[in-house]
Amino acid sequence: MKLLVPFGLLLSALAAVVYLDDTPPRADLVFVNSGEVFTLDPQRMSWIQDFRMAYALYEGLVRWNNADFSIEPAAAEWQTSADRLIYTFSIRPDARWSDGAPLTAHDYLYAWKRAILPDTAADYSNMFFVIAGARAFFRWRTEALEAFAAQSADLDPEDRAPAALALWKETQRQFDTIVGLKALDDSTLEVRLDRSRAYFLDLVAFGVFCPVYRPAVEGWRVDQATTEAIRLSGWAHVPPPAFADRRFVTLNSATGRLEQSHGWTKPRHLVTNGPYVLSHWRYKRGLHLRRNEHYHSPQRIRSDRIACISIEDINTAVMAFASGSVDWLTDVSVDYQADMLAERSAYENRYADRIRAALAAGSTLDEALAALPPPQKGERRNIHLFPAFGTDFYSFNCRPTLANGRPNPFADARVRRAFVASVNKKMLVETVTRLNEPVVTTLIPPGSIPGYRSPEGLPFDPESARAELESTGWVDRDGDGLVENDQGELFPIVDLLYSTNTPRYKNISLALRDMWQRQLGVRVELRGKESKFFKEDLKSGHFMIGRGRWYGDYGDPTTFLDLFKTGDGNNDRGYSNPYVDELLERAASEPDPQRRLRILQDCERFLFQEDVPMLVLCQLVQVYMYEPGRLSGLSRHPRLTQYLWQIEVRDR
Amino acid sequence: MIRLIVRRLIQMPIILGAVYTITFSLAWLIPGNPLENPARRPPPEIMQAMLQQYRLDDPWTFYWDYLGKATGVSWLLGRHPRPFDLGPSLTHQDWTVNEILAAGLPVSITLGLGAILLACGIGLVAGVIGGIKPGSWADLATLGVALVGISLPSFVIGTALLVVFGLLLGVVPIGGWGRLSHTILPALTLALPFAAYIARLTRFGMIDELRADYVRTARAKGVPRRHIVLKHALKNAFLPVLSYLGPATAMAVTGSFVVEKIFAVPGIGTHFVNAVLSKDLTLIMGVVLVYSTLLILFNLLVDVLYRWVDPRIELG
Repeated sequence: MKLLVPFGLLLSALAAVVYLDDTPPRADLVFVNSGEVFTLDPQRMSWIQDFRMAYALYEGLVRWNNADFSIEPAAAEWQTSADRLIYTFSIRPDARWSDGAPLTAHDYLYAWKRAILPDTAADYSNMFFVIAGARAFFRWRTEALEAFAAQSADLDPEDRAPAALALWKETQRQFDTIVGLKALDDSTLEVRLDRSRAYFLDLVAFGVFCPVYRPAVEGWRVDQATTEAIRLSGWAHVPPPAFADRRFVTLNSATGRLEQSHGWTKPRHLVTNGPYVLSHWRYKRGLHLRRNEHYHSPQRIRSDRIACISIEDINTAVMAFASGSVDWLTDVSVDYQADMLAERSAYENRYADRIRAALAAGSTLDEALAALPPPQKGERRNIHLFPAFGTDFYSFNCRPTLANGRPNPFADARVRRAFVASVNKKMLVETVTRLNEPVVTTLIPPGSIPGYRSPEGLPFDPESARAELESTGWVDRDGDGLVENDQGELFPIVDLLYSTNTPRYKNISLALRDMWQRQLGVRVELRGKESKFFKEDLKSGHFMIGRGRWYGDYGDPTTFLDLFKTGDGNNDRGYSNPYVDELLERAASEPDPQRRLRILQDCERFLFQEDVPMLVLCQLVQVYMYEPGRLSGLSRHPRLTQYLWQIEVRDR
Repeated sequence: MIRLIVRRLIQMPIILGAVYTITFSLAWLIPGNPLENPARRPPPEIMQAMLQQYRLDDPWTFYWDYLGKATGVSWLLGRHPRPFDLGPSLTHQDWTVNEILAAGLPVSITLGLGAILLACGIGLVAGVIGGIKPGSWADLATLGVALVGISLPSFVIGTALLVVFGLLLGVVPIGGWGRLSHTILPALTLALPFAAYIARLTRFGMIDELRADYVRTARAKGVPRRHIVLKHALKNAFLPVLSYLGPATAMAVTGSFVVEKIFAVPGIGTHFVNAVLSKDLTLIMGVVLVYSTLLILFNLLVDVLYRWVDPRIELG
């Protein structure tokens, strides 16, 4: 039969697809990351799953002690000048790259220069602007590129490439003269700051400050002798090859821009200086790490091989965990998450006394749980809720007029205070989100920043909320349950904006609407939007109250309080108060760290007792799944930086 | 036949050009910015620099630049080192769209072809059984199963299969890719709706054919029943199935968002949704161009097969 021919061909073609994929054996630690890894280039990272990889593959000059977030030496020791403007880092003599070449100050200089260069298109470039001259250099290069692009069209095609190269050389010269970064010798890096920054070392511990290995990043094609010389004394002592001999970078002669391809982050090319090397990375399948034989402190490394597998659907990931093929789930945001957490509470409640006794005797919560009898039906102990370094809130539009030109009732701080004091947050986390997140009255998660004591914000107090609203002239004058002003006009319908990507915000918004209608006598209209449209509306101020959340980037109150600076790019509220701006400026120029933190505390107190530009609800949480006692080494500090090299799986 | 192929191949760039232009305009109109992290906005000067680096500051430049690189025209003119360069992905920053497709397309094609074979097997058998004795219990049963197969969404079937065979029985691994055992459940889930459709097509085809005059003649001549069904009737009843197989295969081999998501299959199906959600322009354009090319080629292939199977058919 003729028809069987194509079918037979098809079948044999399929059979020919041999499943001889080199699937590596099960690693010592298998986990599912909070999303696909986007990049292994530390300077271009901006997602938590990428940074988790950065801390395993690379080592910064300093690192956080992730139990309390104090700073400890990593690849270097440091000294600070008396005016706290100059930091000098001395790199460990035994620090090496995974190809055996020594780690030098030039590596950090090169990586940081990449981050400041606009051509790298790095999200976090502005973190480097604390270095003297970095911002000026960024602007200089941006303008020079614009000027070049405008002129290059008139140039002869043959003249374009030399012109681009000349601009590139001039850029290097500009960097060396403007920016306060210097490699004094192979092992000493000197950093000059634009002003004293109490949190500078905390920034340096952040992933984007990790070094990269220039010969790998640029894909140098060099001869054997040069390779040997690099391995012996570092790339800084050999002349770099011409652009034609660099595989991964090109100079675009039409735009003058440096264009980088990211082939170098693949296993065959990547050279790292951290505890691990990349042994395997296949798109959407997973990423495998192997112990770095050249790492200076091998005793730190807990697992020899780590696999980070890709499972996009969290439901499937939970099933994979239940089947035992995964040791650690970093994200459990499924519909039945709250139910699983309730099972965990049931288990904890049953053994509350024994857990308390074990904690009092000095064991950790995980150890206490592991020592208990296994959970019965309707109970579980393998789901864990960790408070994180972020806060869920609703923003008030603080601009004097709304996007449609009408006067904005929320421009008045008294109205905002009334709307804040009438919200029962405890009820929200217990019955609406059902995750029992820690309720907060201020933005900075309490206890998350060493040395900083959070002030108290406004408590739940419907009585004073109504009084506050009355003091602005909004009173229920005709007894219909709705407030009017003295002209008898109803309070404008409150436009409540939220994003529809998860049901969470719809549920919270519905509950808020009920609370405000009941407590204050105002009408609220919900406006749910797909997240891209939601962001547009938020950015353009087209809302009265809008859902928001913020995660801190570094261990200082300013990572949260800068949101309230006049004109800040993330100030969705359009909030502006000269007093707050002045406090922030005063804190920035205060040399004494203790006094500085007190000024910031005053600032936060004013923001959340007096001016309340936002209604803060609760601390954000991260939910993990792992068997307590089996997996150890996770940090419970709210900043939730998990170092993969600290994590260990027992009883396999 | 040759004329048909040549004509289709000439039409192809025109169709692809139209697809490219329409997709590009729609994708550009999606609000938002692919380089923006949903959690925070970098300062405007940095965002501007990032947009410029990826040429996202001007749609017109992007349109022509990308078209030139994707079609290989820039390469022919010596302006670009590689032909058919679909650019770097804007969200998966370490991967080019070519790498993403090279990694995902073989997976999707393997899975899709497996699913189509499975669908043909299940569908033809069920259709023939039903078509021989319309109205019998076997017919009603297969019709019922087909109805369920068409109407039940694959996330229900897929999850149910995963819970039963992965979690409760533990006979197949959950998540991952690379072994034959990884492909069974996704292929089956992907195959069921196709199988149901094929079963229905075959059944109605069989009913019609078995009533035809040539069947009556054959029976009068005493040709064995098995022979009539399999050799004569099925051959003709298969033609509508064949024309359905073109678009069905194109659909199956370009991956299914739901099936790939549930079974963690590293194919290209999820990109059709995720790339649009994150406004990853280069990836959107890449997957759409590849999908359209496959669709056109599979339709052409089916037309050629059609002619070959039934030379009476004239194709315009």
